[in-house]
Amino acid sequence: MTIRAPKDFWSGLMFLAFAAVALLSARGYSLGSAGKMGPGYFPLLLGLVLALIGAILVARSFVIQGERVGRLSVLPLMVVVLGVCLFAFSIETLGLVVALVAVTVVSALASWKDFRLREAALLAAALAAFAVGVFVYGLRLPLPVWPAL
Amino acid sequence: MDALANLALGFGVALTLQNIAYCFIGVFLGTVVGVLPGIGPVTTVAMLLPISFTLSPVSAMIMLAGIYYGAQYGGSTTAILVNIPGEASSVVTTIDGHQMARQGRAGPALGIAAIGSFFAGCAATLLICVAAPPLAAIALEFGPAEYFSLMVCGLIAAVVLARGSVVKAIGMVVLGLLLGLAGTDVNSGIRRFTFGYTGLADGIEFVALSMAIYGIGEIVYNLEQKAAQADVMSRIGRVWPAWEDIRICIPSILRGTVLGSLLGVLPGGGALLAAFGAYTLEKKVAKPPRNFGNGDIRGVAAPESANNAGAQTSFIPMLTLGIPSNPTMAMMIGALMIHGISPGPRVMTERPELFWGLVASMWVGNLMLVILNLPLVGMWVKLLRIPYRMLFPAIIGFCCVGAFTVNSNMFDVLVMAFFAVFGYLCLKLECEPAPLILGFVLGPLMEENMRRALLISRGDPRVFVEEPISLAFLIAAVGLLLVVAAPAIRMKREEVLKE
Repeated sequence: MTIRAPKDFWSGLMFLAFAAVALLSARGYSLGSAGKMGPGYFPLLLGLVLALIGAILVARSFVIQGERVGRLSVLPLMVVVLGVCLFAFSIETLGLVVALVAVTVVSALASWKDFRLREAALLAAALAAFAVGVFVYGLRLPLPVWPAL
Repeated sequence: MDALANLALGFGVALTLQNIAYCFIGVFLGTVVGVLPGIGPVTTVAMLLPISFTLSPVSAMIMLAGIYYGAQYGGSTTAILVNIPGEASSVVTTIDGHQMARQGRAGPALGIAAIGSFFAGCAATLLICVAAPPLAAIALEFGPAEYFSLMVCGLIAAVVLARGSVVKAIGMVVLGLLLGLAGTDVNSGIRRFTFGYTGLADGIEFVALSMAIYGIGEIVYNLEQKAAQADVMSRIGRVWPAWEDIRICIPSILRGTVLGSLLGVLPGGGALLAAFGAYTLEKKVAKPPRNFGNGDIRGVAAPESANNAGAQTSFIPMLTLGIPSNPTMAMMIGALMIHGISPGPRVMTERPELFWGLVASMWVGNLMLVILNLPLVGMWVKLLRIPYRMLFPAIIGFCCVGAFTVNSNMFDVLVMAFFAVFGYLCLKLECEPAPLILGFVLGPLMEENMRRALLISRGDPRVFVEEPISLAFLIAAVGLLLVVAAPAIRMKREEVLKE
């Protein structure tokens, strides 16, 4: 058995994984009956359909020819995700300026080949100034600007 | 006449100083993101959603709508001058448009794109005025069974018209529906798929999900593509096309407008499909077929008219049925819901100022766009000199601010980080995200309508086929699926969608 259509194969596995999570967690919700659908009825239905589609994709990937999955750029993805998480964990305590500078500089590292520290720092500063000016002073969105001491 | 009174009401709303200003902000931003490759209207609308709840609903809709149709104008500029589509819907414009630029005819190419877009935008807006009220009147009669089947039909159509594998697209729809169910169930009060996180009690935040996929996931995907050689044609010359050029384009603009308007209404349609369809049609019927692919001005006029027409008419199902035909329309529905308005046929009768104000603003916006795009084209070209390495961290930064401000909850930012990884994987696996977004918006509605329909019929599923309108929708859905399954048509579809 060789996988002939890797993109289909992995998509199928992804759908199967989501279906498994859905079906497992939907066990706890009462099913009800068709005439009186409980909270578990529609999720169960969708989970089964999704599992079926996943299974079709996986089975089909052994038969039909398909494209290979290209190289995953794991590192840039992780850098960007790290930047976003830094923002999430700093916005409430350290405020908008610090959080925005952190996410901008860190995610700029995702294309490290043409990363320039000065440029990234300037960009971050400009962005923070713009965001504070427009969102906080212009639109009066409730955002903490500076670290809460 | 009723329509005239309504339009007068609409212009009364659209022509207030405040709304003109928001319309301008919308079309201006739309042009910017249209010109810039790598950022599209979906991301932009998502980033502005949190801001939009500081505005009145009408102003918010006017601004957000401007972004979508403004992007169609801007996209053509990049397509013609740089040979890179600024927006997906201007892919076909690169074919003849860039050839024209190479031959020193960039000016007329830009000119005819703007003229065609303006005509198409105005005509399609007129179509909205005429078609929307009767459609909404019909939709008011729909019961839960009809609504459920309509949604099934809409989602299937979206799948069929999406690019790539149909099976994967159906998978994405179903996954989207499931994700849409997360959060507190309105009927039982039970929290579903929250895995113990209180941050998920109100469900997965739509803004976070869409920015994760269309903003961040796509950025990582773009970063790994080789930087396209920027071959900017900076010599533009006279923008106004010669009379001979305009004359030869009139039939193309008309055909593009009609086809684009029709394809825009379809679920899954909108600007992208309209442009592809119009170019294919033009190659078949334009006489003499001379030199398509080598800088034929009609190859610019038709798709550019069509994508703008499609962008306008895709508002029809959203405004009359409350059903989004593409991810941007799903965003607009999200915007309305933030304001506590549930989109659907009732909006037109209960909030006429919202509906007619939005429609009237489209004319205002299209007029602004012609002015923004023709005399000021040089300014937009300068925008293309901004390197992507400076652009993408800024987009990520704004996405973070956007995701946080919706609920002032850092959890939503983490949700965005999670789905960014998911979105990137989907792009790598060629699973189209658009069906997922549509499914996500429709998930709770579909469950509710199914529940009500089955409650009325006491659990008898035959209710969906016994109501004639519902049956018609289901037959249409099955028909669409069969059509795609038929090998001959499948080839044709791939040909049209790939090109």
